Amino acid sequence: MPRKPSNRQVNLPAGRNKKDIWYKLDLSATVYPTLQRRDFSSVYRLSVTLKEEIDPALLQQALDRTLPRFPTYKVAIRKGLFWRYLEPNNRPGPFVQKDIKNPCMPMRFKANNRYLIRIYYYGRRISLEAHHCLGDGTGGMSLLQTLTAAYLGLLGHKIIPSGFVLPLDETPDPEELEDAYMRYATAKVKPPRPAGKTYRIRGTKEPFYTLNIVDGVLSVKEVMAVAKRYGATITEYLNAVLLYALLQKQSTEFHLKYKPVRIAMPVNLRRFFPSKTLRNFITMVYPSIDPRLGDYSFEEIVAEVHNYMRYYISKKFLCGDITTNAATKHNFLIRIVPLFLKDLVVRTFYTRVQDKNSSAGLTNMGALQVPQDMKPFIDRFDIYMGQPFSSRTNCAIISFEDILTVNFASSIVEADVERYFFRKLVRDGIHVMIESNREGTSHTTVL
Amino acid sequence: MSYCVNCGVELEASLQECPLCHTPVINLKEIGKEFPPSPYPENKGQVEEVKRKDLGILLTVVLTATGGTCLLLNLLVFNRFLWSLLVIGICICLFVFTFPLVYYRKMPPALSLLADGAAVAVYLYMIAYLTPSTAWFWQLGLPIVALVFLCVEIFTFLLHKIPLTMLSGALCLFVEIPLFCVSLELLIRHMLADHMMRLTWSAVVLTVCVIIDVALITILVKKRLRNEVRRRLHF
Repeated sequence: MPRKPSNRQVNLPAGRNKKDIWYKLDLSATVYPTLQRRDFSSVYRLSVTLKEEIDPALLQQALDRTLPRFPTYKVAIRKGLFWRYLEPNNRPGPFVQKDIKNPCMPMRFKANNRYLIRIYYYGRRISLEAHHCLGDGTGGMSLLQTLTAAYLGLLGHKIIPSGFVLPLDETPDPEELEDAYMRYATAKVKPPRPAGKTYRIRGTKEPFYTLNIVDGVLSVKEVMAVAKRYGATITEYLNAVLLYALLQKQSTEFHLKYKPVRIAMPVNLRRFFPSKTLRNFITMVYPSIDPRLGDYSFEEIVAEVHNYMRYYISKKFLCGDITTNAATKHNFLIRIVPLFLKDLVVRTFYTRVQDKNSSAGLTNMGALQVPQDMKPFIDRFDIYMGQPFSSRTNCAIISFEDILTVNFASSIVEADVERYFFRKLVRDGIHVMIESNREGTSHTTVL
Repeated sequence: MSYCVNCGVELEASLQECPLCHTPVINLKEIGKEFPPSPYPENKGQVEEVKRKDLGILLTVVLTATGGTCLLLNLLVFNRFLWSLLVIGICICLFVFTFPLVYYRKMPPALSLLADGAAVAVYLYMIAYLTPSTAWFWQLGLPIVALVFLCVEIFTFLLHKIPLTMLSGALCLFVEIPLFCVSLELLIRHMLADHMMRLTWSAVVLTVCVIIDVALITILVKKRLRNEVRRRLHF
């Protein structure tokens, strides 16, 4: 039976002295600050493109009104003796700023008045960048949509909160602040994590401060029709296309022996375990293809992915996975180890095992719902998984109405995976429109 | 509206070449036309650097004050011998150790280790200065400090230049340990004017380490064994 979120876990703000409030990092969030490097932070970006130009002054007002409703996003991260924790941040800010060419820059914990979010505007677009230790894409999307609703409200439009948009006059529900992992880590066994070396993309590393982006804008109806033709869902089909692109890339390089190609795909656990949490509540699944078993046709790849997803993305398997991950936080001996030693071990484990466990990352936020009153003002959404930890490509997918955007972010010069990916979509009869921030590709960079 | 002739994708209007295959966009119908702005800004962002100036100032003030006040106390009150040199030496060592962390983070590790070694050597000399004879410093203290820091420098160099695995890292360590122990024993014997220059305790360390080295080399060479060890020792 799942446990109810307790006051101790959540550190409820209601009825407590403000100075007493602090938040433990959730299970996933304990890892992200450990991986922090001079040139890397686990930062993701969510963008919404409106139909009209953004007014920065109004956006700042909207942000000032919105952020107090999200107490776990208005925080600073601090170090304890055994764990890091979040504490409310009442310093000035965060301030909206003009967008930049290289999104998802590293986020120093002590910079930006210790805020772990950034808000950008450019033309008709509002972008939110958040450190992953605050929450996952669902939490971030709730903040972005609530901010957008507040902004539209300041423009004189009436938006009734629903779905991702939270009412600003309500106090946060304790469940929004909880570490939902601990509530649902109830399996009696701890299944082992999948491990093994996989194909790593070879490429020329871009200099610091460069994140190459290639966006593909597609029609949801077209993609759905093609996916249906293969007997798969949109996620399964796009997963299969990415695996196909990675296999193609590996086959064009010189290798003494091939390695399995594996994708790390976050699954939103809220679909299976009811929780209103705005913090991290995801786990990873790893669809893969092993080219050493023989040549796979695209139809076979789709079938493999389809069967894998059906088998592993189930409540029971996911519960086992959460329990395995939570075991480390339950273990008394691990808990009493000082933070610097934990950091050392986690970083080593991540670099040597976890990072080598997948060839690329893919996330699909699915079809986004927005309140009915907000729909006429929104053009599209974008999502970027951010800078990859090692040289590889991350792919993120999101759809709104009939627009599906596939956003690739990589820190390598070559765009081979992206090319194989989009060419396959074109061959399957899908119309693809490409946008990019790559150096030298745009007319404006020359003029 | 332009398409890439290689990839078949439609290219956003501001693109002058396909970002996927770098094929230039040549659309005769759009020659002379103004291009719309890119959906991405032109300006690159810079990460805001965290100022460590405050910590640096605080550390410098505390260390200087500690050294200075101890020196004054030594000269004016407790002036039987120059005990303040011990405190000043520690302050210098702490300053040198923290220099690459607080003041200049781009300092190469080899150089910072060299500075650390020099600071320790200076501190030992200060201690030697307070003792009746400085012979132990020249014959034992300084060579041991040089030896320790040489070993650390070599290990750091390997760590940075060669992608060390856990096994090869352990091999480096178990090669360095006996070399250090043998050199240490020879230095001690040299200082004690033992002309036999025999190895006793360091021979035991040497033997154990040679056995470990042979085992590690075998594991590294034999892939099956290597995988077995990795499997059993993975964490």
